[in-house]
Amino acid sequence: MNVQVEPRERVLASTYACVARFGMGKTTVEDVVKESGVSRASIYRLFPGGKDQLLRETVGWEMNRFFTRLAEAVYDAPDFASLLEEGLVFAHRAIQDHEVLRKVLETEPDRLLPLITVEQHRVLDFITAFLLPYLEREQRAGRVRPGVDLEVAAPYVARLVLSLIGSPGRWDMDDPEQVRLLVREELLGGILV
Amino acid sequence: MVLPTMSHEAESLSPAPTESIEDRAVRATLACVARHGLTKTTFDDVAREAGCARATLYRYFGGKRQIVRITIAREAARIAASIRAAADAEATFEDAVVAMFVRAARELRDHEALQFLFAFEPEVVLPHVTFDAGTRFLVGAGSAISPALTRFLPAERVERTGEWLARVALTHALAPTSPIDLTDEAETRAFVRELVLPGLLRPEPTT
Repeated sequence: MNVQVEPRERVLASTYACVARFGMGKTTVEDVVKESGVSRASIYRLFPGGKDQLLRETVGWEMNRFFTRLAEAVYDAPDFASLLEEGLVFAHRAIQDHEVLRKVLETEPDRLLPLITVEQHRVLDFITAFLLPYLEREQRAGRVRPGVDLEVAAPYVARLVLSLIGSPGRWDMDDPEQVRLLVREELLGGILV
Repeated sequence: MVLPTMSHEAESLSPAPTESIEDRAVRATLACVARHGLTKTTFDDVAREAGCARATLYRYFGGKRQIVRITIAREAARIAASIRAAADAEATFEDAVVAMFVRAARELRDHEALQFLFAFEPEVVLPHVTFDAGTRFLVGAGSAISPALTRFLPAERVERTGEWLARVALTHALAPTSPIDLTDEAETRAFVRELVLPGLLRPEPTT
């Protein structure tokens, strides 16, 4: 780990480590002080809302990390549909294997889920901004249906991708053929020719 | 099947003579939750609101948990029936899909108990509609509305499409800032026509 990490980042990473160990309810600011080596006064300067703000921003921080990893995993996909297929498969596995998420969902869903919902708009903006250039590339290649407004289509796809990552419903995200069907019909039928 | 009729406007709490105990309990639970939320609502509150003796209500339901469970099941069935009825009144697939979204969004908007929960007790609702529970919710909601789609779609597409429509509606309902107002018919129609419908009409590949 980089020793030059700025205190803010260090505090968030430490809060995350504490949540992994103690859960959200039992983690205290004192625990974060011990874990991060950042003083209590500095933590309150960075996060004036104390524990509530720390937890909320830590959820946002981890969601950001999660979707950055996802973006890195799929950025060089050959086209938009493949990008989404690879992304859904990758994200589905990553969610299944995310031990801290699984544990907190199991034990403290009432604490976690409202925070995920509050932080969700950032993730939606992130996914939308990530998808837009790929959609523009499809448009230049003449593969976007006439009349589709990319500024409307990108957030729509982002929303549904996020929904599918959390709750796949009837779709088996481990089956590439199903994911292909889902992406090319339901998800992109209105967008790509 | 006789579905519970519930007028949202009805503020009068005097039970209609034909109402069953269960009807009264459901209506009372909804009224209490709309006023104080789920956590603060007690079994006694529901009994008082329903105009039933506590012991009577207890004999029927055995506790707050069961009353809440029955209320959720009854409301889910009522809303699903309302959404199917909206679709049944339309002639084309597009009209039916638009009508279903608009009806669902308006049911949600006008549902005082749910609105209270979304605003003040999201921790009560979210565990039922996200992650693994979200999958169960979507499969269930999809199956509940799909009978209204059989007129328009090949059999193998019906449940799949029902689930997709439920998913589109849910993602917009849960978003703090939704770009599309699904209670607005014109806006919903443009959205359905451009982004939703073409994906549902793509033929199954032959492979």
